[in-house]
Amino acid sequence: MADDSSTTSSDAPAPEERLSIGQLSRRVVIGSIAASAVGYAILGPRPGRAGRGDRLRLDYWEKWTAHEADAMKVVVDRFNESQDRIFVNYLTMGGIDRKAKLSIAAGDPPDVLGLWNRNLPFFSQCGAIQPLDDLASFGISEDTYATAVRPLVFRNGRQLAAPTTPSSIVLYYNRTILEACGVDTSRMPRTITEFDELIEKTTKFDADGNVERAGFLPTDPGWWSWSWGGYWNGSLYDEGTGEATIDSRPMVAAYDWYQSFPKRWGLDRLRRFQGAPTDNPSPYRNFFGGRLATTIQGPWLPMFMDQELGKGVFQYGACPFPVADGLEDEPPFGPIEADILVLPTGARNPEASLEFIAFTQREENIEALCSGHAKPSPLVRSSESFRKDHPNTAVEVHEALLQSPNAYTTPWMSSWQEVQMAFGAGISKIWNLRAESAVEPLEEVQMEVEAILGRASDRRQRRGQPDPWLRPNEVPESLS
Amino acid sequence: MKHDSTATGLLWIGPWVLGFSIFTVVPVALALYYGFTDYTLLEAPIYVGADNYARMFEDPILGQVLWNTAVFGVISIVLGTVVSILLAVLLSKPARFQSFWRAAVFAPSVLPLVALAVIFKLAYDPELGIANRSFDLLLGWTGLQGPNWFGSGFWAMTALILMGLWGVGPAVVIYLAGLRDVPKQLHEAASIDGVGRWGRFFHVVLPMISPVILFNVIIGVINAAQVFAVPLLLTGGGPERTTYFHSMYVYDQAFTFGDMGYASALGVLQFVIILALTGIILLAGRKLVYYRGA
Repeated sequence: MADDSSTTSSDAPAPEERLSIGQLSRRVVIGSIAASAVGYAILGPRPGRAGRGDRLRLDYWEKWTAHEADAMKVVVDRFNESQDRIFVNYLTMGGIDRKAKLSIAAGDPPDVLGLWNRNLPFFSQCGAIQPLDDLASFGISEDTYATAVRPLVFRNGRQLAAPTTPSSIVLYYNRTILEACGVDTSRMPRTITEFDELIEKTTKFDADGNVERAGFLPTDPGWWSWSWGGYWNGSLYDEGTGEATIDSRPMVAAYDWYQSFPKRWGLDRLRRFQGAPTDNPSPYRNFFGGRLATTIQGPWLPMFMDQELGKGVFQYGACPFPVADGLEDEPPFGPIEADILVLPTGARNPEASLEFIAFTQREENIEALCSGHAKPSPLVRSSESFRKDHPNTAVEVHEALLQSPNAYTTPWMSSWQEVQMAFGAGISKIWNLRAESAVEPLEEVQMEVEAILGRASDRRQRRGQPDPWLRPNEVPESLS
Repeated sequence: MKHDSTATGLLWIGPWVLGFSIFTVVPVALALYYGFTDYTLLEAPIYVGADNYARMFEDPILGQVLWNTAVFGVISIVLGTVVSILLAVLLSKPARFQSFWRAAVFAPSVLPLVALAVIFKLAYDPELGIANRSFDLLLGWTGLQGPNWFGSGFWAMTALILMGLWGVGPAVVIYLAGLRDVPKQLHEAASIDGVGRWGRFFHVVLPMISPVILFNVIIGVINAAQVFAVPLLLTGGGPERTTYFHSMYVYDQAFTFGDMGYASALGVLQFVIILALTGIILLAGRKLVYYRGA
């Protein structure tokens, strides 16, 4: 304490009564900080919903960035201009599912939340979202949407979410390479056997046996590694019984085919091929650079072609991905996903939120959004102008998959992310040839997933929740 | 002037006590409680007794992450300690540009972990990375090729351990301070008795800096047990979970899988393990560490 100098004057007040400048300023500083803290706590910002002027403000959290965020901004602006009661405050962010969990748990969620359809089982089972059944008053029902989109957002007849931009995954090919290799692109392979022939025909090796150009690689880009079984009419999970079917015969056949690539071309050679020097960090570089003749991709691919290579430079085509022998005459198979809008539990203005969500589902708005994302429309039918002006000339191929009863998505299970991680470790073992065939790794994953599903079931029982795969009339009375 | 020093002291440390209570004591207490519950974050926690702890005994992934963490910890602590001491000894010798070399050893440790992960991701690139380019320059004539660093569990773990050496700077600084405290008279006495350079290092220097080694090893154990950001960014835990560590598993259980109860129990386990290891090291230190003046 440096206060001794203040006590030297003989006529100064008693030491107890005097304050030095140092003490005064210290007290002032501490007092000011304390007063500021109390004032901030009492008068500081609140998670209020005051809008512009007298308008009610809705906070809408979305996960998109760049052109995808801009496309939704157009729709939000249209809504804000269409009426003068509600103002939608549009916020885009990363890690939205985690932030959403925390905000809902804290009781201060956004009014509208953009998620992925794979989030829906967990959020709905935890009661973190409210059903959107009242969208029916806006003329929206299951029939509004394409066949394959309906199960993504409806559950047991209840609408849990509204789709915004769906994606269906198909086979893209480099027309120039295929034609140079003598492939008739008007008759693309429909079965895996035919596809293997195309792969052989279009794959090139250098003098040392290294892969120069691959006809196809299931790990490039490897984003839908859970989905291969679907082309053999297999699945990870039987919703009817609630049991994992990871080691079923179609799944083993699919992942044996997956493993056939490192087996036939050599794992090290494939690693070198995929890690080859390039100045292009794009995930599409091998396809765009002519090192990959075909690739499995979503509807956004042509937009990136135009951005990276220039409009119309790359000659591409798209078709449904081939299927196991015997399935080729059925409607197309393939994975689909969707971005969705949900109404979080605790949202303060559900009616206004519904009004905004209903607005996004109008044909002109959803088509503007999907066109901006270069994706197909989730609606049961799209307009002629949408297809004509769409940035992807093969959008009909994607739309056909959205209308197919054979399209499939990530399993409806609240533990999907844990299952996906277990599955990822298993197929990594398959690809890296750490097992003779897919049988053993898939059996191991099956056991791991059974334990995960068992825990999820225990949790539901503990909380008195019905199993999510049960239809309403199958839910035990004690739990309904 | 009279001061009520207790009141003043409390006032000054008040903000820290408040912050410590809110951001450390309360979360730790809650984690202890949630460890006995089924808690998804989005639903109210339900008391489940010791179920989360019982689950640990039949969780094969937990066994794997504990093993990975132990392997990483043991090798990186031993290697880090040896390299740090060697660097400190080198840097303690008079040399031209001594300050520059000391700064050069310390500087990398101020780099943010995310930036570090990005740099090393490029450095370990099998075709373009400086690691394999250097390998080719040095050993290319033998026909050997540099490894695919993140393609196998062994090489991915090796890559992470080697990368850990990047951050030895703080330990080197502490060892340097310890080396300066070694009395010259001991060196001189040992020299007079005919003890050589290595003998002096092992019989004079090491015992004299053993308290510093103990401190650094304890810090190393704590850091190794909590390794998280770099493997998350560099390998994501792969391939086949061979670089999946305990902290990553806790994070995934809490925020990816939504099982906050089990994550809390795993966090408590992590705390107990670190506490036990620290206790064991301190006990061992009673016999192995030499305290001057004790």
